[in-house]
Amino acid sequence: MKRLLSSVRDGRGFDIVLVAFPLGFLFLMAGLPLLYNILMSFQEVDMFSLGTFLRPFVGFKNYSDLFAQPETWPILGNTAIFVIGSIAGQFLIGFGLALFFWVNFPGASWLRGLFLVSWVMPGLVVGAIWNWILSGDFGVLNFMLRETGIISGNIFWRSDPNYSLYAVIMANIWLGTAFNMILLSVGLASIPGDLYEAAELDGANAWQRFWTITLPMMRSTIGAIISLGLIFTLQQFDLFAAITSGGPNNSSNVTQYWAWDLSFRQYDFAKGATISVIMIVFVMFASVVYVRSTRHEVRG
Amino acid sequence: MTKQIELSGVNKYYGAFHALKNIELSIAKGTFVALVGPSGCGKSTLLRSLAGLESISTGDMRIAGELMNNVPPRKRDIAMVFQSYALYPHMTVEQNLTYSLRIRGIGKAEARKAAQEVAATTGLSQLLGRYPRELSGGQRQRVAMSRAIIRHPKAFLFDEPLSNLDAALRVHMRKEIRTLHDRLGATSVYVTHDQIEAMTMADHVVVMKDGVIEQQGAPLELYDRPANKFVAGFIGSPAMNFVPATVGEDGRSLAVDVGEKQTIVLDRQLQPGRKVTAGLRPEHLHFVEPGQGVFRLPVGIVETTGSATYITTSTEAEVTIVETSRRAVKTGDVIDISVLPADVHVFDDKTGLRI
Repeated sequence: MKRLLSSVRDGRGFDIVLVAFPLGFLFLMAGLPLLYNILMSFQEVDMFSLGTFLRPFVGFKNYSDLFAQPETWPILGNTAIFVIGSIAGQFLIGFGLALFFWVNFPGASWLRGLFLVSWVMPGLVVGAIWNWILSGDFGVLNFMLRETGIISGNIFWRSDPNYSLYAVIMANIWLGTAFNMILLSVGLASIPGDLYEAAELDGANAWQRFWTITLPMMRSTIGAIISLGLIFTLQQFDLFAAITSGGPNNSSNVTQYWAWDLSFRQYDFAKGATISVIMIVFVMFASVVYVRSTRHEVRG
Repeated sequence: MTKQIELSGVNKYYGAFHALKNIELSIAKGTFVALVGPSGCGKSTLLRSLAGLESISTGDMRIAGELMNNVPPRKRDIAMVFQSYALYPHMTVEQNLTYSLRIRGIGKAEARKAAQEVAATTGLSQLLGRYPRELSGGQRQRVAMSRAIIRHPKAFLFDEPLSNLDAALRVHMRKEIRTLHDRLGATSVYVTHDQIEAMTMADHVVVMKDGVIEQQGAPLELYDRPANKFVAGFIGSPAMNFVPATVGEDGRSLAVDVGEKQTIVLDRQLQPGRKVTAGLRPEHLHFVEPGQGVFRLPVGIVETTGSATYITTSTEAEVTIVETSRRAVKTGDVIDISVLPADVHVFDDKTGLRI
């Protein structure tokens, strides 16, 4: 007993206690719900069996039912467009801004910090603001496009099935760009300046230095940011709730919103769980990429 | 003789800070030049200006006769070895070596051949496939130099390239760099804060302090006839002893204020009664039999290295003596020391200039 106590005070026991606490918390608050979610995707869940834990096992019936539904593939397609569009936009604009602030003009770091405001804003608030910007009749976006002659008539961004998904993507790009920029700025700052001097003396012009030094040196940062982006965009729920509610006619519906809609609006918990499991697979993949690219970062 | 590098009236300002003051420097082709001085003296700024990484404020800078003031670094055709080596961490040794060639659009096969040739001369042949992080400090240093050599540049610039190596390797690389320089017939500018490096490697040593060239010349010229107290104290190890002195009535002797006043004879005529500083190199002070020396000095600290004994006196103006014979001396002894008149350096008390 005394040895156990001293081990807890100063030794391996202490390490185990330190690790056990967060692990226990994670398991209880994230692990169990995750497992329960997977379990539920193989069960028949209805209003009457909702309160019980062990429900009739149905195998892959939920999965086959899900893919038999006509809206499933379009919604998966929407999700892919949303994820790729958002990540591409956030990354490219974020990288551009990071490079811009990297030039380090007076006030650069101050201004860069200010950009983080968009990251701090709650998604619902951002959604509400974008609702005004995107508004068909009096929105700023339509006004600008019309005045510059790009469009002749108003686009009803939120209610036109051809545009509704892109309305949310635009808002999401705005929301995530600052985060991308900050991470990329950190990555840029960690490249030693003398590499550029050496490359310059070796005869490389600015463009060649970017391709041969900056990009390769940023590889792990870029890997991390894209996998984080995948996770964050698959989490993006608020903007859909605020801007389109997945409509009209599922034209802007994505899996994460659909899972919530099925579970908590239509009370089809089994299908909601099934979609979540499919998403878990993608997020797991992104997590592995993220962990691998950051591990490489530590090794240098 | 053609001048490979020529600086005239070069000034550099950082805002109000005057980093380089009227630098005049002309380097013949094939010369190994060392820029030496304490940190903050402007030697690195001067080197970076040569590379084009800093722009000069006024004056002319010519490399191989061409005015370089506004030419960007990549068009100057000079190679630099950085203190940190600045190897590209994401490239193998071979890719590091061939980077400049690939940038110039030289074909893969040709670049590879050039890399192999250079690697053979610098002992890197076995390491071409490795990444910089898999190399030791000395190997990285070699890669950095090979990367410079492969381009056959107009001049090599070295920015304290040996300061990250341990003492033994440093002495070895010193010779290696000098040998390489001679074999390539290159023009090299070498920045260091270590006067031994400068003295042993260079044909021409430039001593700088506070952005000013204090003196430049052949290493022994600086050692034998330092232009001022700073150069005298900076060149030579252990450092020169400085003791206050007054020129005697006859103008041919110095009353040296060390311990009790003692007199040393000069080989030149000076203004009688003038206050000066006498500079005596530790290795020029010799033990003599009691009563025959010009100094009688009480011994303070005795340090033995085996090859030589360093004796520091307990006088107010400390005097260090390097003695190569193994004479038993201990703290508290009084020893007799002599010095040849030709080995006495005399500096003006106020300006510090050599008299």
